[in-house]
Amino acid sequence: MTSMVANGTRGDQSLVLKGVDPETCMIVFKNHWAQVVKILEKHDPLRSIVGGLGGGHGLGGGGGLGSFRFGPVPGDEASAVQNYVEHMLFLLMEEECGQNGAMGPILEFVVMENVLERLFIWSLRREFTDDMKLEQLKMYEMLIGQARQPLLHHKPVLKPLMMLLSSCSGSPSGSSSSAVETELVLLLNQLCCVLAKDPSVLELFFHTSEDQGAANFLIFSLLIPFIHREGSVGQQARDALLLIMALSAENHVVAKHIAENTYFCPVLATGLSGLYSSLPTKLDVPSEEWHCLHREDWQQLPALVQFLNSLEFCNAVIQVAHPSTRDQLVGYIHNGFLVPVLAPALHKLTLEEVMTTTAYLDLFIRSISEPALLHTFLSFILLHRHDNVHILDTLVSRINTPFQLGTVSLALFRTLIGLFCEDVMLQLVFKYLIPCNHMMLSQRRVLRERDCYSVSAAKFLALTPSCCSPEVIPPPLRKLDSILWSKGTDGSHIGTMESKEVLSEEDDCGNSCVIGSEIYLDVSYLHYLYDAQNSISHCMRACRVWSAPYDGENPPPEEYQRNTLEEADLTATPGLLELEWDDSYDACPTQLHPEEDQETRPIPDEPPKHIQELRRTAIMIVKGSYIEESEFQNDVMVYNLVAQKDAHDSAAKQEMLDESVTDQKTTNSESSISNGLSSPLDEMDSKKRGSQSNHKSLEGEDLVAQYEELIRTLGAQHSPAKTDSELKSPTDLMDEEEDEIDFNSFSPETPEAEKLPSPFGTKPRSGSRGHAVPFTGPFLSVLLSRLENMPSNSLHVNLLLTGILAQLAAYPQPLLRSFLLNTNMVFQPSVRSLYQVLASVKNQIEQCSANNKDFPELLTAAQHCLLARESSLRGQTDRIKTKPNIQPKTVVPLNKTEVYAAVLFTEFLKELAAFAQEHSILSHLPTEQ
Amino acid sequence: MNPFWSMSTNAGRKRSDGEEQVGQGEQKSSPARPSFGKKQLPSIPKNAVPITKAASPAPSTQSANGTHASYGPFYLEYSLLAEFTLVIKQKLPGIYVQPSYRSALMWFGVIFIRHGLYQDGVFKFTVYIPDNYPDGDCPRVVFDTPVFHPLVDPVSGAGVRRAFTKWRRNHNHIWQVLMYARTVFYKINTMDPLNPEAAVLYDKDIQLFKSKVVDSVKLCNSHLFDQPKIDDPYAISFSPWNPAVHEEAKEKMFAHKRRPEDYNKGLPVSGLSWVKPGSTQPFSKEDNPLQT
Repeated sequence: MTSMVANGTRGDQSLVLKGVDPETCMIVFKNHWAQVVKILEKHDPLRSIVGGLGGGHGLGGGGGLGSFRFGPVPGDEASAVQNYVEHMLFLLMEEECGQNGAMGPILEFVVMENVLERLFIWSLRREFTDDMKLEQLKMYEMLIGQARQPLLHHKPVLKPLMMLLSSCSGSPSGSSSSAVETELVLLLNQLCCVLAKDPSVLELFFHTSEDQGAANFLIFSLLIPFIHREGSVGQQARDALLLIMALSAENHVVAKHIAENTYFCPVLATGLSGLYSSLPTKLDVPSEEWHCLHREDWQQLPALVQFLNSLEFCNAVIQVAHPSTRDQLVGYIHNGFLVPVLAPALHKLTLEEVMTTTAYLDLFIRSISEPALLHTFLSFILLHRHDNVHILDTLVSRINTPFQLGTVSLALFRTLIGLFCEDVMLQLVFKYLIPCNHMMLSQRRVLRERDCYSVSAAKFLALTPSCCSPEVIPPPLRKLDSILWSKGTDGSHIGTMESKEVLSEEDDCGNSCVIGSEIYLDVSYLHYLYDAQNSISHCMRACRVWSAPYDGENPPPEEYQRNTLEEADLTATPGLLELEWDDSYDACPTQLHPEEDQETRPIPDEPPKHIQELRRTAIMIVKGSYIEESEFQNDVMVYNLVAQKDAHDSAAKQEMLDESVTDQKTTNSESSISNGLSSPLDEMDSKKRGSQSNHKSLEGEDLVAQYEELIRTLGAQHSPAKTDSELKSPTDLMDEEEDEIDFNSFSPETPEAEKLPSPFGTKPRSGSRGHAVPFTGPFLSVLLSRLENMPSNSLHVNLLLTGILAQLAAYPQPLLRSFLLNTNMVFQPSVRSLYQVLASVKNQIEQCSANNKDFPELLTAAQHCLLARESSLRGQTDRIKTKPNIQPKTVVPLNKTEVYAAVLFTEFLKELAAFAQEHSILSHLPTEQ
Repeated sequence: MNPFWSMSTNAGRKRSDGEEQVGQGEQKSSPARPSFGKKQLPSIPKNAVPITKAASPAPSTQSANGTHASYGPFYLEYSLLAEFTLVIKQKLPGIYVQPSYRSALMWFGVIFIRHGLYQDGVFKFTVYIPDNYPDGDCPRVVFDTPVFHPLVDPVSGAGVRRAFTKWRRNHNHIWQVLMYARTVFYKINTMDPLNPEAAVLYDKDIQLFKSKVVDSVKLCNSHLFDQPKIDDPYAISFSPWNPAVHEEAKEKMFAHKRRPEDYNKGLPVSGLSWVKPGSTQPFSKEDNPLQT
């Protein structure tokens, strides 16, 4: 038989049998069988009792089989049987179905004579070695794979197969040779394929399994040990299991059996834990820039590949399986992997370990796609508490840690934000924005306002540092795009933009930026607009499944102010506020010259009480959770480092805190106007003090410009009444009362003043709300505080930060959109807006530029370096074949962070402006679905 | 497909058909980006020719409104796009409008009058928007054929301006102009007429006025199939019903209203939410997979 299996192929045999009529085949088959039976009976101790050897006699293992042997079978007889069987099997395989799906005559004979079972018993009678098993497995594999008529419907075929499988299940895995395992999995896989094609067989398998006693649904149970196996055996086993999973989705009995009587789900989930434990606890970080595991990283780590295989299998199972299996599996993953394994791993001893775990978590979330599995991971992050602190809060607090833990944490949040998950965004951002405490009361009605005239975009772009202004440094043109601002052809009107591609690169005149008119246009801005449009519309579509629009009305702010929030904080997120002890209060950039500061600024004795309190509890909590268990020494070190940084900043911080308190004390009207907008000026003021001697004129002019802008901004705030007219469609009225529309309401004579939300009208609410500080949440605060350090951040940190903020800027929800992109909003004094932070960065860059004569050259060189970087990155993906990579003439060292930051900052402003502009169109389009 | 949608998304990025073919790959399709590819930097010119303006000192580059003049066209373009989306939002009955191909400052429109003295009138018009919008005058509405009306100039076809003596940004919007243009055909007003004859007739001899209106409507409608006055790919032109051309388009219009992006972008993107409506607790939906 072995030789047959090894050498025989279907094609050869078909040729042999072609043209031979079925009756001849039948006769040959019967003859062969008669010969076989002779030999079989000669060695059968019980002769006639063929059927009595059924399952009841413990066919479970090789060990007990010796008792059936009746003396050794002579070799020549064994090989004779083998030869006959070989031929018989081919005849059976090649037989066509009878009429109307009836059995062919050979199959009928096989069934009648119980041929296969008798052969199985014969093989048991001899030494039931691995070779024997292998032979039998291959025989069935071939039969099932190649037979032309369905065989498995017939119990005399099915039963010996099940007996064979049973015998395989009895031996503990490991004792069987890998060849047997390979063959077994192959056969099981093949059986599952048959099941998938013909679900009616499933029932048969199921009940035949029952006949076999304990090993219910044998195929399935046999596959389970191979779930986490590496290599092709594991893959085949997982594929086969997936087929059964898909079947079980339709078959309640099978689903119930899997959930209740098998260890499938626990094995799968705890297997993840096992595989996780063999992952490297510390990764070799290739470079300082590294912040997340890319494909090329994890492919180098076989253990990680294996883990991801199993995780992806879980994902696939959840996708296809019956809900009961799915629910059980996610439950085991949560309780058997995430909570007992991943949570402690996220709180490991050393910075490197924690960073590694964070990178793993990020990779895992990127690797899964099934909502139910994502739900499990996300609810773990959002709701699970380790040492009484939510995982999410711990992760957020780590954004501000030094070294790579901070950037790896940022990368994780980039992944989370990219999921467009309402629950995540709720906990990270919206929870803090819903009460609208961060803004002046009067501003709530302005929340949903449309920026019709690109006022915010203009304000962002106006923050472009003078050294980066396109008029000072002509930005090189991308592929020599040029923009034509054309006058209309017939002269009766002005034309509009047209973009032309100058296709020939050699076209020297293409370098000219000004075509057709005096207006210079920044071509790259078109790309930003296009990208912004894509991001926003993508995000808008994704957010259609959300439960609320987060527009300042739904959810209603009133319901979530103070009491509700407090309650929620106490019950669900204790210590959230307290954990927020990062730089969000240090309004001043950290790079101020400390000596000068100490000279020029009187340091207040004490920071305000509530801040002290906040700081103290924060440090207590953070330290508490680590120091109590002394093994967490290294994390304490991390936090101490941050604390030191804090202390270093404290001079600046304290001054700012002092200012904010003063603000709150000053009379309401004054403070409420200036609060939202004062910081850029204040900072400029303080900056100016630092660098007055050298750059007075420049700073002065800038200050005037800023001042003018401030005045203008205040002016702009007087006219948001357009929302009223936007809100009500007049056409509703028109149908009934065509004549009643008062067009005078559109004319300027109508007094509009009373409709305006007056920035003077509201008092700071601090008095009524005790010491509660309006707060946009730890996540936004920490992002902005890191952004404020842009000039000293490394390039890749800035890329991550601006990337995440750009992701956030794509969200259409008015609460977030207005916070990030509406430069006219007036926020509470303690709340820093993105605009304020950017203004601070601008001033830092201006100062760097003023202090360094080489700055313009460095800027240009840095631009070139970044372009080279981009083109090399893009070259990796594909695209530019003809273009050689750009080699920058001078390489600006990466430690010149302020130079790179200046380039990036300028581009980021364009990106934000583009988002603001596209929102003014897209976010206001009525959705049709 | 609602033509407005295609307009609203294309208006900012017009190209001729030929350019569309060539240019699309380069500009329309977002180039493959590295994970941080968001920051787009312009490429380096081989021999960067100094820009004539480069020498000008930085402060002068700040225009009056504190921003770089170079972005002015973008602001104008988006202001007009915003106006256009406002028009869409209003769903003004019987009014259709689309910006011209050549300029966002010129919009083509048509009004269908469904009852009243001007019933069955189909009036094509053009809206001219001043290039210092929104700080300029009221956009002008000019009818292609000067319909007989007290507020429509019998020679130039200009009309409607009266209601907006002073144009105020934030308060006045182009949809208001369009709505006004429609309303004057339902509610005749003879104050400050541009066509004194019509005004006098309306007040003194309403029967003659009515018959003149009927003639005028007939005249306008008889020119309906004329070539558009302004040669522009996006000008509104009418043609007699031709089943071969129009039947399919009509079916499409009635079949589904989907935004063009939904056609193009393949698989539907979906975000995630397990927040129960009315709650602000994460994972508050009841049909959660249970976890104990």
